[in-house]
Amino acid sequence: MKTLSLKKIPVSLGIAILMAFLISIPFFASDYWITLLVLIFIFTVYASGWNLFSGLTGYTNFGLAWFIGVSGYISSLLISDYGFFWLYAWPIGAILTSIASIGVGYILLRIKGVYFAISMVALTEGTRELFGTEYLAPITHGGQGVPFVAGIKLPTLYWAILLLAFLSLLICYKIISSKFGLRLLAIREDEQAAETLGIHTTRDKIIAFMISAFLVGLAGSIHFTYQNYIDPSFAFSIHLTLTPIVMTLFGGIGTVFGPFIGATLFTLIHEILWAELTLLYMAIFGGILMVLILFFPQGLLGWMKEKGVLPRIRKI
Amino acid sequence: MTKEPILRIEDVVKKFGEVVALDHCSFDIEPGSMTGLIGPNGAGKTTLFNLITGVLQPDGGHIYLKGEEITRKKPYEIARKGVGRTYQIIRIFPKMTLLENLIVVGKGRKVIERARDLLRLIKLEEKKDDYASDLSFGQQKLLSLAQVLMLDAHLILLDEPAAGINPTLQNELMVLIHQLNEGGKTIIVVEHDMNVILRHCQKVIALNYGQKIAEGSCSEIQKNETLLEHYFGR
Repeated sequence: MKTLSLKKIPVSLGIAILMAFLISIPFFASDYWITLLVLIFIFTVYASGWNLFSGLTGYTNFGLAWFIGVSGYISSLLISDYGFFWLYAWPIGAILTSIASIGVGYILLRIKGVYFAISMVALTEGTRELFGTEYLAPITHGGQGVPFVAGIKLPTLYWAILLLAFLSLLICYKIISSKFGLRLLAIREDEQAAETLGIHTTRDKIIAFMISAFLVGLAGSIHFTYQNYIDPSFAFSIHLTLTPIVMTLFGGIGTVFGPFIGATLFTLIHEILWAELTLLYMAIFGGILMVLILFFPQGLLGWMKEKGVLPRIRKI
Repeated sequence: MTKEPILRIEDVVKKFGEVVALDHCSFDIEPGSMTGLIGPNGAGKTTLFNLITGVLQPDGGHIYLKGEEITRKKPYEIARKGVGRTYQIIRIFPKMTLLENLIVVGKGRKVIERARDLLRLIKLEEKKDDYASDLSFGQQKLLSLAQVLMLDAHLILLDEPAAGINPTLQNELMVLIHQLNEGGKTIIVVEHDMNVILRHCQKVIALNYGQKIAEGSCSEIQKNETLLEHYFGR
């Protein structure tokens, strides 16, 4: 029987206490706070999913909204048009998006650097246009969107996204601490050198891309169920791509908890500024972002690692 | 009975636009040998390494590894068949620790143990948790060699391993390379320092303008008129 290391107890105990607190929130918090937390967790998964692929491989994915929109549409249409129960519709959307991402990744991950980023933007924009056209309207309902009610109560949705956020961070942790994670980092550091050292870079990139697609897609399905509405302009909007990226940069790219910290602080700051300084909040928010980019380019966790507050190295 | 060559380069051609980097180059490398590959800058030495390791594809000719054609294979496939290389400009993974730089290459269960053994071999075990970018230039060269050893390569291509390092470290490095050769590894070394080549290699192949201009033992090479004229300007 393994003995529990004393050094591990505080971290896992801390996480357990935090999770217990978060799970209990719907029993005492108002709908406003539950809703705020739902958004934080949705964006935690978006940011974590982006970080898992882009943070580790160095391939900047500017098409995160493609995963969100495709999965969101599949699950929303299954619920609204085919009467699927949300518990089945969500994973179906995510799985189909993940499968589709194999084809996308096989073609587009041969392109490097800024060209990959641009091609993902083009794919997302093209899909947005396609979903809004009259030709696909019999399936997608075109530009008018799909209003629907999934019949899920707010606390249930909250627990579902909390669970997904926890699993996303756990998956991220497991991958970063694994040989697979090291291979992804090697791709980021020097892909050609990695290949000449026996790393099947194409396969590993596609696997990471698929996992990212699944997690982000699943969060997307939950997001649009929460909104009771989906349309092409929001489902594939650049905002859904850029916001998680900024959150990840804010918290610390390539770290496990960076996306969660970034999503939480970003959402809270955004909410406070919007409530207190409605006319100036975008300007102030932009100023805060500039300060962070100038003085904390590695994100908060990266800065803490440099100062020795957090350990630098991964535990493999 | 002659042994099958571990590497056969057969009539290989490589062009970059109108520039012919390798021009119908052919030679064999015997298993367990240590061969020096010499030539002036632009002779085609690094291009040849890139073709052997699959980084580039030839425009003509064939490359065989232990009798199997590897001409069009991907770099990771060739690496897994036991071909490892170092680069003229060091290419390790700077934001990964020394231990991670080795673990990421290894396969099988005892990867961490093997990585530690290799770090001990190159005398960098106490720096195992340091980032590779924190190492000195010479230490990075040693790490680069350790990565190739982690791959368990039996054909090792070394692109100017002694360049830019102090004589003491150079000596340590060449002793290590010799040990590997004596242990059965086949080694091809690109070097400009002829003392290194003549002291350590059994055979020398000379390239110039993409063509093989000489091939033979060290003593034969030193008397080769064509080589003396092209390479040494005599």
